[in-house]
Amino acid sequence: MLKRTLVTAAALVLGAGTAFAHVSLQVKEAPVGSSYRAIFQVPHGCEGKPTNVVRVQIPEGVIAVKPQPKAGWTLEKVRGAYAKSYDYYGTPTSEGVKEIVWSGGTLGDDEYDEFVLRVYLTKDLKAGDTLYFPVVQECPDGVAERWIELPAAGQSADDLELPAPGVKLLEATSGH
Amino acid sequence: MRNRNPGRSGILAALTGILWCCLTAAAMAHAALTGAVPSDGAVVAAPPKTLSLSFSEPVSPLVLKLVLPDGRARALDTFVLRDRTLEITPPADLGTGTHVLTWRVVSEDGHPVGGSTIFSIGAPSGAPQAAANAVDWPVRGALWLARIALYAGLFFGIGGVFAVRWLIADDGDGPAPVRAATLLGLLATVLSLGLQGLDALGAPLSGLLDLAAWKAGLATSFGATVVVLAAAFCLAVLATRSRSPAMRRGASMVALLAGSGALALSGHASAAAPQWLMRPAVFVHALTIAIWIGALLPLASALRRDGEAGRKALGRFSRLIPLCVGLLVLAGIVLAVVQVGKPAALLSTAYGNVLLAKIALLFLLFALVAVNRWRLTGPAAKGEAKAVRRLCRAIAVESLIVLAVFAVAATWRFTPPPRALAVAAAEPASIHIHSDKAMAEVTVTPGGAGPVDISAVILSAEFEPLAAKEVTFVLSNPQAGVEPMRRKTELQADGSWRAAGVVIPLAGRWQLRVDVLISDFELVRLQGEIDIRS
Repeated sequence: MLKRTLVTAAALVLGAGTAFAHVSLQVKEAPVGSSYRAIFQVPHGCEGKPTNVVRVQIPEGVIAVKPQPKAGWTLEKVRGAYAKSYDYYGTPTSEGVKEIVWSGGTLGDDEYDEFVLRVYLTKDLKAGDTLYFPVVQECPDGVAERWIELPAAGQSADDLELPAPGVKLLEATSGH
Repeated sequence: MRNRNPGRSGILAALTGILWCCLTAAAMAHAALTGAVPSDGAVVAAPPKTLSLSFSEPVSPLVLKLVLPDGRARALDTFVLRDRTLEITPPADLGTGTHVLTWRVVSEDGHPVGGSTIFSIGAPSGAPQAAANAVDWPVRGALWLARIALYAGLFFGIGGVFAVRWLIADDGDGPAPVRAATLLGLLATVLSLGLQGLDALGAPLSGLLDLAAWKAGLATSFGATVVVLAAAFCLAVLATRSRSPAMRRGASMVALLAGSGALALSGHASAAAPQWLMRPAVFVHALTIAIWIGALLPLASALRRDGEAGRKALGRFSRLIPLCVGLLVLAGIVLAVVQVGKPAALLSTAYGNVLLAKIALLFLLFALVAVNRWRLTGPAAKGEAKAVRRLCRAIAVESLIVLAVFAVAATWRFTPPPRALAVAAAEPASIHIHSDKAMAEVTVTPGGAGPVDISAVILSAEFEPLAAKEVTFVLSNPQAGVEPMRRKTELQADGSWRAAGVVIPLAGRWQLRVDVLISDFELVRLQGEIDIRS
């Protein structure tokens, strides 16, 4: 009985630990038609190994992406065409950054860090939806943690093993 | 297979074994299906040009049907047999949806086996019902009784006639039970042919009136046994009735050899490899049983009737039978070793349980035989009336035990030997998992609990090969409380993804998820269920 209790307790603790260990966005809500500071919180490495690479995929409808450089990390901006043209304060924008890669750094498994982007959330995004930024953490020996799962209809991010970090979209604030 | 506690005593296991194999409802494979194209559960893009079924032993088809998505069944008449593979040409106008290929074949051991495989064209439609392999108890019971009567006829009847002519060297017609056994055996042998046909076609007992059942029975390998055995019974009758002494002795000898040989023409012991060993072993086993058991009734009769001739016969019997029993046991051991394979199968399979029950009865029989030989044979040979009476009574009891042995051995007709089960156990389990983004054909080899290899072929929803970056299997069994186990795979030269040495701890229905990483940021999860045998 004691053994079972211990196992259950351990499972609860470990389970809870996993739940808090996802890569997440610090700011959980943002209005469309405005700039958004996407702060990715990386709480651990992959299976005990340090993180060397962090890749963030920029979802469609997110433009004017500017990553914040980090000391000790090399920045790479992968550019490409958007699915459609977006309006950026009156300027039509049909291509731009589609993926950001921070590489060459070392973030220990027992360390925490934040990776920051400044983006513009176009008005084409629908308020009420959650916008997901798939993130891949790469570690030595080809090991990776992929926070890339998007909930299907009727699912919540809590149901997923590897949920992509998301931000809840709000109505555009007036005055813009 | 049921789990059995090895701690149980052998006798108890043997007795439950008899009960179990009498009650067991699962139709078990003798020739096992080892593969099908399209594989069971497969989804194919276009109607297949050929359907193929591969078996563990050479087979011939009895019934081949294709159940269409609308529930209609079409007989499949065009097929070719290539070694152990049956290649069937399906109707050209197959539509989309799920099809059930229902088959019933007979293997070289003469036992019919049936089953179904399911495949879908384009996409699965509904949940097709595989035809259940129900056991027809009246037919099974009749087969069992006929088999006991057949053994009694061969061993007490033909064996008895041989003993009367050669051992007792008697001019009479032999004891009445021997003559009755011969006629009973002839009747049972002929009837077995029809019953075998019923079993082959899956027809009820009333089908005996139909010629088709008899034809089907004759077409199985058991047909040859029936023909030769029936001829042997006729010769035994001739050996009783003929007026020529040479004919009487000759016919009884040929009947004995032919009758024993007939058993080696069919049955799963005869069909087993190595053939050069197994068929002669069956023959020797049957022949020595016939000589020994056949001598019992005529000997008792001679002892009671005519002291002098009886005592001489008893002397010959005592010299001949030890050699005979030695060969009998030797052949029996050879057969058992090949058929059972591993000692554990004695407890874990119905076939093994029957063997244990048979061995238990044989120990009883041999104990009685030993008492007769060392306590009674000497005094009886000297003509002590009391010993003769006791010996005759002992022979009657021996005969009853022998009948019980026949009854037990006759249940083997319905239990596949562990050798065949081992082939069936090696069969893979497979599933097809389908989503709107991708599909996976997953094969678990062997499809039973324990260490297995899991491999998957990943295709796009349009049946094109899908270049995945990584494939991971996640197995879980929520009912048994087994949490997800993830196993990484490696890409093989043939394009499949394989995880070797995965241990599936329990039999039952498992959740199998295939995580397919298509690109760095795109993951497809395919979730399905797979049945793992014990």
